[in-house]
Amino acid sequence: MQVLIGLRHYGADFVRALRINSVTFILFSLLCSFATAGEVKLYAAASLTDALTELGASYQKTHPGVVIKKSFAGSSTLAKQIENGAPADIFISADNDWGNYLLKRGVLAAESYKKLLGNELVLIAPVASDIKVELDPAFNLAASFNGRLCTGDTASVPVGKYAKQSLVSYGWWEAISPRIVGTEDVRTALAFVERAECNVGIVYKTDAYLSKKVKIAAIFPAASHSPVEYPGALTKNAGQDAKAFWDFLQTDDAKAVFTRYGFTLLY
Amino acid sequence: MLTEPEWQALSLSAHVGLWATLVCLLPGIGCGWLLARKQFFAKPAFEALLFMPMVLPPTVPGYLLLVTFGSQGVIGQWLKHNFNIEFVFNWKGAVLASAIIAFPLMVQAVKLSVQMIDRRLEQAASTLGASPLKVWLTVTLPLMLPGILIGLIMVFSRSLGEFGATITFVGNIAGETRTLPLAIYSATHQIGGDAMAIRLIIISLAFAFFALLLSNLLSRRAEKWLGVHRAGT
Repeated sequence: MQVLIGLRHYGADFVRALRINSVTFILFSLLCSFATAGEVKLYAAASLTDALTELGASYQKTHPGVVIKKSFAGSSTLAKQIENGAPADIFISADNDWGNYLLKRGVLAAESYKKLLGNELVLIAPVASDIKVELDPAFNLAASFNGRLCTGDTASVPVGKYAKQSLVSYGWWEAISPRIVGTEDVRTALAFVERAECNVGIVYKTDAYLSKKVKIAAIFPAASHSPVEYPGALTKNAGQDAKAFWDFLQTDDAKAVFTRYGFTLLY
Repeated sequence: MLTEPEWQALSLSAHVGLWATLVCLLPGIGCGWLLARKQFFAKPAFEALLFMPMVLPPTVPGYLLLVTFGSQGVIGQWLKHNFNIEFVFNWKGAVLASAIIAFPLMVQAVKLSVQMIDRRLEQAASTLGASPLKVWLTVTLPLMLPGILIGLIMVFSRSLGEFGATITFVGNIAGETRTLPLAIYSATHQIGGDAMAIRLIIISLAFAFFALLLSNLLSRRAEKWLGVHRAGT
């Protein structure tokens, strides 16, 4: 009985402590959400993760007081979030469709909209794989490997849309489409191939370069899909800090970083 | 009213949900009864372990499944080699993920229903000469039925809602692993996908409401039947 009463007391204290803690927590998070001075919210395609993280870090070093908050995901995810009021300052998409989508909805500052970077579409496999791919309609891709092909969701995620175009152009789509795993962004597809859960993947050249666990089995010719272009823009609620960072992304220093990761420059 | 991909997602969800429910049935009855009636070594730890999927981020079981049951995982390779069963990127993996996430709900429902049973009924059967097994099958089990039924409804409903573990473990493949929540997620990311998302969301809302309503009605009936008096009724 004593033990029970003790337990009950402990329980009450615990609940009280929990309540106080949650009040503090809510107040704290409210405070945090107000303290947004000097923040630049950058929403960018997942394939830009490493290049933009490096650029953001180097920019913060030279501009103390400015914090670059990054959100990397599939361009489709980001565009839908921004359309629904996500507080982005800068948006960089991995295809023109999602850039135009937001442009048409009046969320982006049209005068800042420009094509920044280009990329290539590659077919990858785990390093240990012995797959041989010939870029020829006579070649049977579906029969050349077992298991699944990972790429972005072919209806919405840019890399998946490009991949579908290329597979269609070689006449491979019909046979391969039931085996496609469509992921929410290109990096998820890359990770599945790195773990060899997918034996083949279609990602961007820049993603394949970053991983030691995958190899490039083929580079899709530019004619087999619409050009891989990264348009970007400031949003209408972008402030001075965001504009300054946007300009920085177009400097020669930034260009050198993008080139080092394997992007081509379009500006 | 619904398009082909929507029917596909719905029927796949029902398929995965039914299998997950089936998988949870016997182990759920066993564990629930064990927790309600037996004392054994490290019981609190066992119970905590069993209920962990309820509080863990679903991506954690999802990731652990991927690295153990994946084609490169130890269990995955063993199953592939010995039984030619693969879980990763197919509907069986979706069943496994859903079952693991929903299992605590089954255990909880069974455990509560066993605790409500008036033990004098079992004792009476024993004194009348029934063997322990016969008592269990003819007295305990029928009295557990409402709990089992509630557990099954909860497991099925939770399976329909499983997202995190599923997308982490088996991906989002139309017709194979794209269940209702994944179809909603995909639809919200497509240009012009809102109409599809809204239709599927309405179905989810209606289903969740009626499943919970049914399980509430059932548990009220069961309490009345088993002679439990609750305050205010």
